[in-house]
Amino acid sequence: MSLRAWLAVLFLLCTCFARSAIAEQPLTDDAATIDLRSAEAAPAGWDSQTPPAAGWVPVTLMDFWDSRWPHHDGVVWYRLRWNQPGNGKPVGLLVDYASMAYALYVNGSLIYRDPQLVEPLSRSWIRPHYFLLDQPVLRSGSNELMIRVSGLSAYQPGLGTVTVGNPERVLALARRSEFVRYGIHWFDECVGAVFGGLFFILWLLRRQDSYYGWYALSTLFSSLYTLNFIVSSPWPFDSSDAWQGLNVAWWFAASVTFGIFLLRYVGVQWRRFERGMLVLAASLLVLALFFPRVAGPYRDVGVLLGALTYYAAMLGFIGYTLWRPRADYYALAASLLIPIAVSVRDLLLYLSIIHGDNMWMAATSPLTIMGMGFALAYRFAVAMRRAENYGVELEREVGAATRALTETMGREHGLALNNARITERLNLVRDLHDGFGGSLLGAIGTLEDPRRRQEPAQVVAVLKELRDDLRLVIDTTTHEQDTHLGGQIAPLRHRWSQRLEAADIDSRWSVEGVDQLNLGAMRVLELLRFLQEALTNVLKHSRASQVHVRIHCEDDKLSVDVRDDGLGFVPNAAETRGAGLPSLRARATRLGASLCVASSPGDGTHLSFIAPIAPQP
Amino acid sequence: MASTGDHIAFDRVLIVEDDARTQRRLAQVLLELVGSIDNIAVADSVASAKTMVSSSAPNLALVDIGLPDGNGLELISWIDQHHGDTITVAISAWGHEEVVLAALRSGAVGYLMKERDDAELVAALHSVRRGGALIDPLIARRILAFVQLSPTEPFTPTLSAQAQKRNEAALSERESEILQFVAQGFSNREIADLTGLSRFTIEGYTKSIYRKLAVRSRTAAVFEAKSMGLL
Repeated sequence: MSLRAWLAVLFLLCTCFARSAIAEQPLTDDAATIDLRSAEAAPAGWDSQTPPAAGWVPVTLMDFWDSRWPHHDGVVWYRLRWNQPGNGKPVGLLVDYASMAYALYVNGSLIYRDPQLVEPLSRSWIRPHYFLLDQPVLRSGSNELMIRVSGLSAYQPGLGTVTVGNPERVLALARRSEFVRYGIHWFDECVGAVFGGLFFILWLLRRQDSYYGWYALSTLFSSLYTLNFIVSSPWPFDSSDAWQGLNVAWWFAASVTFGIFLLRYVGVQWRRFERGMLVLAASLLVLALFFPRVAGPYRDVGVLLGALTYYAAMLGFIGYTLWRPRADYYALAASLLIPIAVSVRDLLLYLSIIHGDNMWMAATSPLTIMGMGFALAYRFAVAMRRAENYGVELEREVGAATRALTETMGREHGLALNNARITERLNLVRDLHDGFGGSLLGAIGTLEDPRRRQEPAQVVAVLKELRDDLRLVIDTTTHEQDTHLGGQIAPLRHRWSQRLEAADIDSRWSVEGVDQLNLGAMRVLELLRFLQEALTNVLKHSRASQVHVRIHCEDDKLSVDVRDDGLGFVPNAAETRGAGLPSLRARATRLGASLCVASSPGDGTHLSFIAPIAPQP
Repeated sequence: MASTGDHIAFDRVLIVEDDARTQRRLAQVLLELVGSIDNIAVADSVASAKTMVSSSAPNLALVDIGLPDGNGLELISWIDQHHGDTITVAISAWGHEEVVLAALRSGAVGYLMKERDDAELVAALHSVRRGGALIDPLIARRILAFVQLSPTEPFTPTLSAQAQKRNEAALSERESEILQFVAQGFSNREIADLTGLSRFTIEGYTKSIYRKLAVRSRTAAVFEAKSMGLL
């Protein structure tokens, strides 16, 4: 408080220079008003009933005696004089500020007295008082005002300017002053109560949005603090210390809950820090209730703590808004800029670093409350809108997720398909070694056999068989895109239709249920080889006039029949048909079936098997 | 369209083939159709083939796709444009359908595969002489895919000449139907049974499909060239 001491010295100096100004100020005409700034003051005890005879010093109003008589708790008498013209008209009198309680005497007559002139003191300072003076109390010529002020050095004790003059004009001044210092606080209190109550209800219904609750709590404490400006009775406290101590506790609690509100608003929880601050606020409350004589006089500590908390919270929030901009953050941050600016001024006023008769915070605080209310309501509206759009959003997100899933699955399916193809191709390459290569080696072996001289026609026949086999391998390998059996059989069917026709053999084909069938390249090749070998036999050996090829797919079974009306043979004397039959059997076996051969001489040949569509393990 | 059994006269036939053995084989196969070996001329390069086509205007030219001094496809295209009366048939070893399709689009009315038996080649050439063309399922499927990839515009009187030409090149319903059957491996006789047409008519349809394919390719090429500012 060294600043205050320094200011006190400055004040004393000023009053010294102003000494010559202490004189009877005259009221010049009916319409005029004068502000009585020159007065004399004398300290006295709590029980002083009459002005003291001695100890008067000249002072300039507004006067705070704590700078002149530090630690003087009790009564100070103020004496003011003015010169009244003798026109017999009444005058208005305005006592703007007297802290805390006072009694007013005009020319020795008691005009007004607060209910409590000893502790607990009435809280008269909160509003100005207007009086109408008339004869016989009012005299022509010199009039003397005696104002007995009861105050406590800790709470800015003293007397403000007193105004006398034209009753209407003084009354107008009084009303204006009352509105500014008193009415606005009531307004403030009402707005706070409405908004606090509103969001308290909202919080009751939506506990998960805890910032509503913290906002309501902060508003509640803020309202309790504002009572300081609108309650004139000391009730229920037995001392001004208790009242002031508690008031500061409310202030600090409001600042802490406000800080927590802002933290919650941006979705942050600092549990340990918040608990610490709340404990501190509770301790201030306990201190005020049980040790008011400490809490009251040292209230500035609590006020500073609260102010620091407020500033830290507000500046922190503004910083956060700049870092993570959002529409409702901007609204809230803007509503916080007002109190930051105004509160700096008010705090300085409160700490008596600058002087004035009114704290602006009260006038602007409804704006702040409304701004915060707007931010909360905005957020609420956004949440509502989101809830309303939830269905649409859900649908869209599900759609997007489904698309992504489809894409992924499609990709994976493609990969799997590719892998399958690569595997098939490797199998086909292996088959070129084992199958075609084997046939080639067999053919070479046969042709090189020194015991049998080969006819050129036989050599050609062997080579043509190899050629036909190679054709099948090529068709199966190069037309992987035709994955269904219908397409894969078509070239063979076409070629053999032509060949059989050229040989005057009527071929009939019945291919059914294979358009969607996918056997895999290896099994298809096996089937095509089976058909080719069977038809080769028909072409070469059967002397048939008709051949019927039937490939039916039904119920997971693939049935294959090749029936001719040719010579036929004795099945057990298999060698009569060359090496063809064992090869056909082997192919049927590899397809998971066993070949059924029905033939008798002169009655044609019927080859058939039924293979499972799913590959055998 | 000569599709009703009247034979095209094969009195001047040209074989464009650089391999002597294949030349002999083809000449042997052709002999049955043309009657005399004197009617068969042989060229072993694109350049000599062009000269011979210009001088003797053959009815039929068998063109090997792989020639020493140029591409058989180019020769087929040249013959189609400069000597429209000469029927060209492509020859290839194993008949990769990309090559076959390119030959058909260049103007060939068919293709012979060297891997086939002589009897099959003779049958194919008989079909050509009857005014038809040969086709197999893989080629049919490729043509169907190709046609589906380039949809035709609906006919309007203000259509540009080019678009009209393209429209002319659109396959008729009957032609697509036949292609579908071929793609499934049906023989010409089976298709004839199914459609109630004669098998010779079906061979004629095949030829007409190839013609349209060539027209489409040409108009597509012109269209592309125009859109690229080359024409």
